[in-house]
Amino acid sequence: MKKNLVLVLLFLCNVILAQVQFEAKVSKTSLGLNERLRIDFTMNDDGDNFSPPSFEGFRVVGGPSQQVSQSWINGRSSFQKSYSYFLLPTQKGTLTIKQAAVEINGQIYKTNPIKINVTSAVEQPRDPNDQPQVSTDNELHLVAEISKTNPYVNEPITVVYKLYFSNNIGISNFRELNKPKYNDFWSQNIDIKQLVGEQGKYNGENYRFVVLRKTVLYPQKSGKLEIEPLSLDIDVQVPTNRRNIFGQVQLVEDNKRVSAGSKTITVKPLPEAGKPIDFSGAVGKFNFTVTPSKTNLKNGESLDLKVVASGTGNLKLFTLPKPIVPNSLEMYDAVHTENVQTPLSGMNGSISDSYTIIPQFKGKYPIKPMSFSYFDLRSGSYKTITSPEIMVNVLDGPTVSENAVATNTGVSKMKVSAGEQFQFIQLKTNLYNIKRNHFLGSTLFYVLMFVPFLIIPILVLFKKKKEAIDGDIAGNRIRLNSKLAKKYLSEAKNQINNKEPFYIALEKAMHNFLKAKLHIETSEMSKEKIKEILLTRNANSETVQSFINLTENCELARYAPSSSVAIQQDFDKAVVIISDLEKQI
Amino acid sequence: MKKTLYIFLLATQILFAQNGFEKGNALYQKGNYEEAITNYESILQSKKHSPELYFNLGNCYYKLNKVAPAIFYYEKALVENPNDETILNNLKFAQKLQIDEIKVVPKVGFEKVIRDFTANFHYDTWAWISVGFATLFLLFFVGYYFSQTTLSKRIFFIGMFVLVFLILIAVSAALFEKSHYDNDRPAIIFAEITAIKSEPKTIASDVLILHEGTKVFVKDTLDDWKKIELTDGTQGWIENKAIREVK
Repeated sequence: MKKNLVLVLLFLCNVILAQVQFEAKVSKTSLGLNERLRIDFTMNDDGDNFSPPSFEGFRVVGGPSQQVSQSWINGRSSFQKSYSYFLLPTQKGTLTIKQAAVEINGQIYKTNPIKINVTSAVEQPRDPNDQPQVSTDNELHLVAEISKTNPYVNEPITVVYKLYFSNNIGISNFRELNKPKYNDFWSQNIDIKQLVGEQGKYNGENYRFVVLRKTVLYPQKSGKLEIEPLSLDIDVQVPTNRRNIFGQVQLVEDNKRVSAGSKTITVKPLPEAGKPIDFSGAVGKFNFTVTPSKTNLKNGESLDLKVVASGTGNLKLFTLPKPIVPNSLEMYDAVHTENVQTPLSGMNGSISDSYTIIPQFKGKYPIKPMSFSYFDLRSGSYKTITSPEIMVNVLDGPTVSENAVATNTGVSKMKVSAGEQFQFIQLKTNLYNIKRNHFLGSTLFYVLMFVPFLIIPILVLFKKKKEAIDGDIAGNRIRLNSKLAKKYLSEAKNQINNKEPFYIALEKAMHNFLKAKLHIETSEMSKEKIKEILLTRNANSETVQSFINLTENCELARYAPSSSVAIQQDFDKAVVIISDLEKQI
Repeated sequence: MKKTLYIFLLATQILFAQNGFEKGNALYQKGNYEEAITNYESILQSKKHSPELYFNLGNCYYKLNKVAPAIFYYEKALVENPNDETILNNLKFAQKLQIDEIKVVPKVGFEKVIRDFTANFHYDTWAWISVGFATLFLLFFVGYYFSQTTLSKRIFFIGMFVLVFLILIAVSAALFEKSHYDNDRPAIIFAEITAIKSEPKTIASDVLILHEGTKVFVKDTLDDWKKIELTDGTQGWIENKAIREVK
């Protein structure tokens, strides 16, 4: 029975010995923020693929260091392998170190999570001799110097970070913990090749300082802008009370964090009053030129138009105006070149846009004056520079209208053509009034248009009348005869108031009538002859008798007294007789 | 006495104007373009003009590289004397100075054919032609009415119908040409740069940006705005002060 028990025990021991162990051990579970913690992951068998936890809330300051030991004690071998880390807590509170894992004999083993309580920093007991003579707090200052705290938008400001340290301490190294990001600024860092210690005063005391960083900033918007702080972790050498064998003061290394507090600057917007339309954001002091490489060109040549802005200001932050050229000039996209240096005073140099222009046709082409506006910081006002107009003169080449005529005649001939030239002024002119009377629609126009059509009915009427008159033969005769009688008697009628001339005229008239009618001579005029001729012509004998009587009466009346009534009667009688005779003959 | 004074005054005015033209020519010859312009424009102020005068003014402004007035005066010369080769040639030179290049969309169709025909004469000339035809019609009527033989009567009768037709054509051509003249209101942009708006408001959106010297056609007027059409058919509104009408 006893023997059995021993066997069982031995067996159990073996089992215990053979068991794999993997565990995490910490040096302490409660520590101050400024203390360090050691953690060992130990296993009693050789394992592979060790994966440490992520150590959240800690910073690994040392490790991992690996340690393997194998020992034989009383014929029994023991094996141990461990990974060690040194951790520095980064925050206060209860932190948990998570599981680490390792693979042993094909099986994965894990440690238990460990809770660590981190308290606030504890005073570390030191050797009084090691105690630094001075507190580093007042010996080390990081200062950000800002050249101007209320600049305009796009006005350059500089931020210079200076580290002041007293003569008592030395600095061996520094690390930037966080670099400031300049949001809403255009920033340019000026490289410092070598840190140079200088003497200076800080708060009225002598200090040494180094310039760590210089930055030129161009605020890009107005309002309150914050410049983020710069934090440094600095290794300082602080003297202690101990001295070495040569009597020199021994130094002790210390570690210190400094930060230049965040700064706020107030950026003024550019004034709206008097802002030119073409203002493109240039702030500073500039000179603006537009220069063509040439202005007289031949066909096929190109010219370069260089638009340059030079001076100091935010050269990289605005665009140059684009030239306006006639469409018949072919202008290619600009080649942009920058020649800008950025010293602490702000950008200076020049930027230029170079345009290649190829004219296609002969002629004169204007390139419009270009204007460039900027905000002058010195005077606080907008300034505009206008370039003069440039005339490009293309001396030859095809004119716009001229089409290329393909000549396929075998013999090449010199084609003589004057080409199109700008014509000289006209030397002669005929000036006339600007206010012109329009013929169309004028009264004269209407009159001239309608008169021909009005004349037509008049013509028709006239012709109709004439035909009617021609048709009436008897009436015509009567009218003709009385007309004749009147013609012969007109002389007599004129003399109707004087007796003697009247009767002479009357007699003459009657004779004339006979002469015209009967074609007889005055010498043949005897009463018998007249009577005979008239009767042979079928005249009424009564009328003939009265004619004879009247002529006789004329002779008598010339010498006899007679009244005006008798004269009138005689005249009327003559008219009747002549008319009757006319009808009858 | 009074009449002779008036005649004398009129004569001196004409002489003076003629003088100004020649003076302007002499100054142009010397290259003194500004003073030549002053002389030429003094003629315009005395309410006299001629296509040659406008042409010379255009030349002066071209020499001074002033694109808008140069094109303006060439266009004015063309109104007085359309289809003149010399004026068209120099206008082409002046147009090279202008910034904008606007396509000229040619008009097509029936109206274009008619216009090509009527454009041969000024509408006043067409009016005279119609008057001439009317007179000829009268003569033909007389010939028809009074002629004796049947053949000549027939010829005159047919001739009368032809003439009535011709009168109708001439009168309608005159009226068409006149309405075209009245509706065709070219203008030149004088503002160095100006926006064509979609509505007659300052805040309206821009249709186009035009530069000086571009020719537009005025279609309508509203307050300080003019509705214009470009040679490529684009329409928009422009401020009154930016343009000057040629007619």
